[in-house]
Amino acid sequence: MAASLVRFVRGGLGKSFNIARTSCLLQQQSRLQSSTTETSPTVRPKDAVTHNQLTAFGEYVAEMMPKYVQQVEVTCFNELEVMIAPDGVIPVLTFLRDHTNAQHRNMIDLTAVDFPTRQNRFEIVYNLMSLRYNSRIRVKTYTDELTPVDSADSVHKAANWYEREVWDMYGVFFANHPDLRRILTDYGFEGHPFRKDFPLSGFVEVRYDDEVKRVVAEPVELSQEFRKFDLNTPWEVFPAYREPKEAAPKLEAGDKAPEKK
Amino acid sequence: MASSAATRAAAGASKVVKPIFSRDLDEAKRRVRELYRAWYREVPNTVALFQLDITARQGRDKVREKFDINKHITDPRVIDMLVIKGKMELQETIHVWKQKTHIMRYFHETEEPRPTDFLSKFYRGHDP
Amino acid sequence: MAGLLKKTTGLVGLAVSQNPHERLRALYTKILASLQTMPQDAAYRKYTEQLVSERFAHVTAEPDVEKLEQKINCGQIEEVIFQAECELALSRKMSEWKPWEPLVEEPPPNQWKWPI
Repeated sequence: MAASLVRFVRGGLGKSFNIARTSCLLQQQSRLQSSTTETSPTVRPKDAVTHNQLTAFGEYVAEMMPKYVQQVEVTCFNELEVMIAPDGVIPVLTFLRDHTNAQHRNMIDLTAVDFPTRQNRFEIVYNLMSLRYNSRIRVKTYTDELTPVDSADSVHKAANWYEREVWDMYGVFFANHPDLRRILTDYGFEGHPFRKDFPLSGFVEVRYDDEVKRVVAEPVELSQEFRKFDLNTPWEVFPAYREPKEAAPKLEAGDKAPEKK
Repeated sequence: MASSAATRAAAGASKVVKPIFSRDLDEAKRRVRELYRAWYREVPNTVALFQLDITARQGRDKVREKFDINKHITDPRVIDMLVIKGKMELQETIHVWKQKTHIMRYFHETEEPRPTDFLSKFYRGHDP
Repeated sequence: MAGLLKKTTGLVGLAVSQNPHERLRALYTKILASLQTMPQDAAYRKYTEQLVSERFAHVTAEPDVEKLEQKINCGQIEEVIFQAECELALSRKMSEWKPWEPLVEEPPPNQWKWPI
């Protein structure tokens, strides 16, 4: 699956693949060699045509806008991802909307992802669709808590509420947004709930108080100071998490070597 | 000491951050003052509109207290972000999107102070 | 004549065009003129010029609207006009943005590394 993941670093414009990645892919490929020829229905069939189309279109976009596109990637599920610099949100989205060969006129979704360990902790994701060519594209950019991102509202009207949601849930500020205010949380709510450092229990609890005859909010009693989660799934998910294979146990002299499988 | 300051200055020079609104601290402070003024003027209206059981004086003291909480902040971008949030709160108050409960939440009327010494913690029965 | 052949485009907000050829010719000339201001080696100019001049050639060669639609093969002629309008607006914005310049900002290391 991951063998079909192709990634070009711009600069090379798709002609030179990322060497490190390809080499790690090669290992992958040899592991998956047996499964590629398998025809059992549980194995996801490869769609080379779509993959090549998306690759070609990704290269096309990267070549058109070398100023903003940092990287183009086709994932193993045949989804085209374009990584851009935060300055290029409006140009790239407008290009994808208005160019005759792209025509991604529908904004399907706009959201953010929080990676607290990164220098720019928020990733902003735009999902676009082209009805004319029946294709989708995902545009990604990045920001941190204090850097404003240009609002995509002038390009796609659908972005209005999505950006309000991202502002509310992650605290990413969108510059030139016509009506940026909270959309999901209660008035007076403090903090941004989808940030990874927001405690699961929240900061306040709400109850009806008989004495003052109104709803009051008080600091939550179950305050979650610090908790260490064990996030390691028992299943193998990503190849990067795979432990390096243990070296073969040392054999005593005179012992027979185990048979190769 | 001087060297660390120099490296910090170099780091600051190499990393140019995008300002939100204000280019320097003075501009940010001006925005804070504008916001404070707007809140100050809005307090009597709020007290009347929401029929709060407080005086305008108390409301203004609360506004002052809320501003004073963040007075140690010197980064113009952080100040700008707080001003943005303060403006949104003000908008919610002016348009009466908030209700009485949301306004009165600033005053923490029903909250009991957390016990500090051993005996009162013991009387309270559990240690949250 | 075209008006008699086609009563509606079947799409909301898209009226039947009475003289699509003229409209398209004007739009394509404008797009090409706007592209002239860009540098010769800009990829946007190269590909768009190619695309537009190809369609322009079809428009000049084919007087019949239905056959023209089939030749361009990008929907009804009204949609093609709409695409040309968008392209014109885009090309004007493009000469402001200058996207053929080198990368404005390198991503921080490990920004796009996944899994982290």
